[in-house]
Amino acid sequence: MLLAARVRSLARNLFRRRRVERDLTDEVASAVEMLVDENVAAGMSPEEARRQARIDLGGVTQVQEAVRESRAGAGLETFWQDFRYALRMLGRSPGFSVVAVATLALGIGANTAIFTVLDATLIAPLPYADPSRLVMLWTGYREARQPRVPASGHEVLEIRRRSRELAEVAGIWVGAGSLTGEGEPERVRLGLTTANFLPIFGVPPALGRTLLASDEGSAGDRSVVLSDRFWRRRFGGDPAAVGKAVRIDGGLATIVGVMPAGFDVLFAGDSSVPPGIEIFTTFGQDLSAMPRDMGWIRMVARLAPGATAASAQAEVSAIADRLRAEFAEYATPGLELQVVPLHADAVRDVRPALLALFAGVGLVVLIACANVANLLLARATRREKEIGLRAALGASRGRIARQLLTESLVLSGLGALLGLIVGRVGLSALLALRPASLSRLAPTGLSGTVLAFTLLLAGATGLICGIAPAVAASRRDLSRALQEGGRGASVGGRTRPQRVLVFAEVALGFLLLVGAGLLVRTFVALSGADPGFRPEGTLTFQVSAQGGRYPDDASRRRLAKTLSEKLAALPGVAAVGAVSHLPFDDYPNWYEYYWREGAPESEKNSAMADHRAVLPGFFESLGADVTHGRSFTDGDDAGHPNVIVVDETLAKRTWPGEDPIGKRLHVSFIHEGSFDSTLAEVVGVVRHVRYRDLGADGRGQVYVPYLQSVRPELAFTLRAARGADARTFATSARGVVARLDPDLAVSKVRLLEDYVRQASTAARFTTVIAAALAILALLLAGIGIYGILAYTVAQRSGEIGVRVALGGRPRDIVWLVLRQTVGLVGAGLAAGLVGALLMTRLLQKLLYGVGPRDFGTLAAAAAVLAAVGLAAALVPARRAVRVDPITALRGD
Amino acid sequence: MASEKADLLQGTLDLLVLKALAGGPLHGLGVSRRIGLITRGAFDVKPGSLFPALNRLEENGWVAASWGRSENNRRARFYTLTKAGQRQLAAEAREWGRVAAAIGLALEST
Repeated sequence: MLLAARVRSLARNLFRRRRVERDLTDEVASAVEMLVDENVAAGMSPEEARRQARIDLGGVTQVQEAVRESRAGAGLETFWQDFRYALRMLGRSPGFSVVAVATLALGIGANTAIFTVLDATLIAPLPYADPSRLVMLWTGYREARQPRVPASGHEVLEIRRRSRELAEVAGIWVGAGSLTGEGEPERVRLGLTTANFLPIFGVPPALGRTLLASDEGSAGDRSVVLSDRFWRRRFGGDPAAVGKAVRIDGGLATIVGVMPAGFDVLFAGDSSVPPGIEIFTTFGQDLSAMPRDMGWIRMVARLAPGATAASAQAEVSAIADRLRAEFAEYATPGLELQVVPLHADAVRDVRPALLALFAGVGLVVLIACANVANLLLARATRREKEIGLRAALGASRGRIARQLLTESLVLSGLGALLGLIVGRVGLSALLALRPASLSRLAPTGLSGTVLAFTLLLAGATGLICGIAPAVAASRRDLSRALQEGGRGASVGGRTRPQRVLVFAEVALGFLLLVGAGLLVRTFVALSGADPGFRPEGTLTFQVSAQGGRYPDDASRRRLAKTLSEKLAALPGVAAVGAVSHLPFDDYPNWYEYYWREGAPESEKNSAMADHRAVLPGFFESLGADVTHGRSFTDGDDAGHPNVIVVDETLAKRTWPGEDPIGKRLHVSFIHEGSFDSTLAEVVGVVRHVRYRDLGADGRGQVYVPYLQSVRPELAFTLRAARGADARTFATSARGVVARLDPDLAVSKVRLLEDYVRQASTAARFTTVIAAALAILALLLAGIGIYGILAYTVAQRSGEIGVRVALGGRPRDIVWLVLRQTVGLVGAGLAAGLVGALLMTRLLQKLLYGVGPRDFGTLAAAAAVLAAVGLAAALVPARRAVRVDPITALRGD
Repeated sequence: MASEKADLLQGTLDLLVLKALAGGPLHGLGVSRRIGLITRGAFDVKPGSLFPALNRLEENGWVAASWGRSENNRRARFYTLTKAGQRQLAAEAREWGRVAAAIGLALEST
């Protein structure tokens, strides 16, 4: 009932406004006339009667305004009015509007860009069916303190058999394979999986089928599924590719399906499952027949209906307990199992950096808000007369405050519109800089989430910028405002909100500057970090010798020896070597337990080392120095005693204070694909090489001679002689391989330095963005300081004029202005310092080679801000000195 | 604090206006005079708050307005209590009685 009446009234107020307004005018006028009648009847003169009537009524316009404000839809109506008025006012001072909108656009745009990355990476669900039900299942070895190691095939099968909380448990190992038949041989990224691996993601193939349980366990005739990209590149997107036979590592393989475009396996960086797998096929071996202690598979699982990550964790922990009880292979290392939601696991590396950048960009928009609020405050002072007039004409204080807020909302709305464009540009810059870990971020358009975020941000910034000026304006005494003619004599108290804002800007700017400074120092430290070898001037390429012409170790040995002899003969090549695992490559790592000869049982599962099989000449070509003993020679082959070279880390840990040369270790040597525990003698010690993390030493390292421990994958390293360019080897090396075996695929022909540089892209990404944000913050803080000083100088020009007229020296005048800067910047820096000491701890995870409370960085940031503050003060100070006393005094 | 007081006054004002109109149609000033009369001068309602109140009541459908002639033949807008307005008056009067009784009790207690 009531609602219906209100709606009718609203409709009337909106659509029959003229009639409603006329009724109002007539009604109030008639009331005045009646009062006049009464007053005249009471004996007043007509003029006096009319005056008294107006007083009794309380002002004709005021009454009308009060009625209007009581109307249904009054808020809407006033908003529309305020909106148009705001546009007019902004149009009237284009300079102010452009600066304010541009400032907000920068702040909002930067936020939109970073938030887009954040949304695509951390918020948007993974592109799978029901992705929140997918979990990673990590094996851990308690004894060796290795929480995230690969699982053995047996483990996968046992967990799958025993678990009720996990509907499916799938496994994958990613390596390289040679694709031959139909065109050039090609080395492809090969994903070996359990048959249920692709189906677990719930993404159906675009063509054909995925793998079946019946495909499992046969190395001979395989079924393979292609990625969309590989299918398009190699088969031109021909649907007839399905059903075709190709050769992979010499074995026959039938293409049974193609995954849809955009499908990718998105696992954590340390999972050794890189994105961009080109061919999926089933494991060639029977998983149950493989050693229980050979971990090499990454597990992903789907929670059963009704199960949660917590319930699954409880269950797999119990399963781990039983596995330890049942199998010695799991008891000794202290097997543990861990369930982590796939999304959280996949973004664990990028999350801290993204959150830090998001916080930084939040600071930037706050600084932008402070600047705009300052502009609005200064402008409100200049508009005092106008505002006073509106108040005199019947606008209530609330109404004026609302009007000013509308203006700032219009500003932030325009800023947001422009900010979307700025954000778009910023996003393309971000995409160009992004590290591989953010590769899943597709350059999509505006998502609904991002748009909503921008809208929310626009509203928030509008309110934040507008609140101070609106409150200040509604507090002002209107009669004084009119008398003063909008000039404002009481300067001291008047600039207080502005000074608070500038103080806040300096403090926030300092925080940003310190954060960016720490990241820059991290990047510099990383760029200068010693990886343990000299990457400059070495070209690398990879081959895999498997199947076909390379059925056994002997054939692979022959290939490796011949290739390395022929490559060494190339002009300009100073050294040639080869390794099973190149530094900073994404090929799955190989690491194992090792223990001393005659070590007690307890030592056997306590230490792990990275293993690499190398050809003689590897250390020389990598530029890793042999510090002790000797390197491998051609003599270290199958016919001779097993020998190893270890790195300094392992040597120091295993034989502290002793000479490792001649000591013997239990390590694995590979013979015909099987890992055999072997007692091998240490013949040399080499510097520790950083293989995976540029910022930290990894595990100890054991090098075995390739000729004694053969693997199908080999990365050759060709070091250029002085004066030669390693790049030129690319063609000649390909030629050497092609002449030897035209079917042998060569891949990843790349400079070693490129691998190292790639390892710091993540740090470069955060650093460049943080630096850009800091510069933006500096700029805004500078403008803020300049703004308030210029304003004060203009306000105090009368006072300055008097001082000059009374013989004030320029030095004193300059000090008058500078004093304020020093105070503002000093206070801001002090507050910023406290904030920095409290907050930079949060950056810890991102830092390398510098502490979160690095004194140098703090001091430098303070110095830079102080310099910007002084620079910003210079122009107003000069203006103050030049104040002409006569003009200044006449001005009032 | 200030807003609480305003709310109370507004509620009271609405009740008084409805009560004044229960005796027959009146124009704005008439309502003001009538309230003065029935409260024996305790409430002197200024037109500045009366007109918004009348507008609000009209928009709620409790009073209806139409143009007519005043006693000394001036064109004036007359307000009439509607059916909904009568119900509202009864409801508000009941509520007022309840509140007044409760407050009376509260003040008598020691």
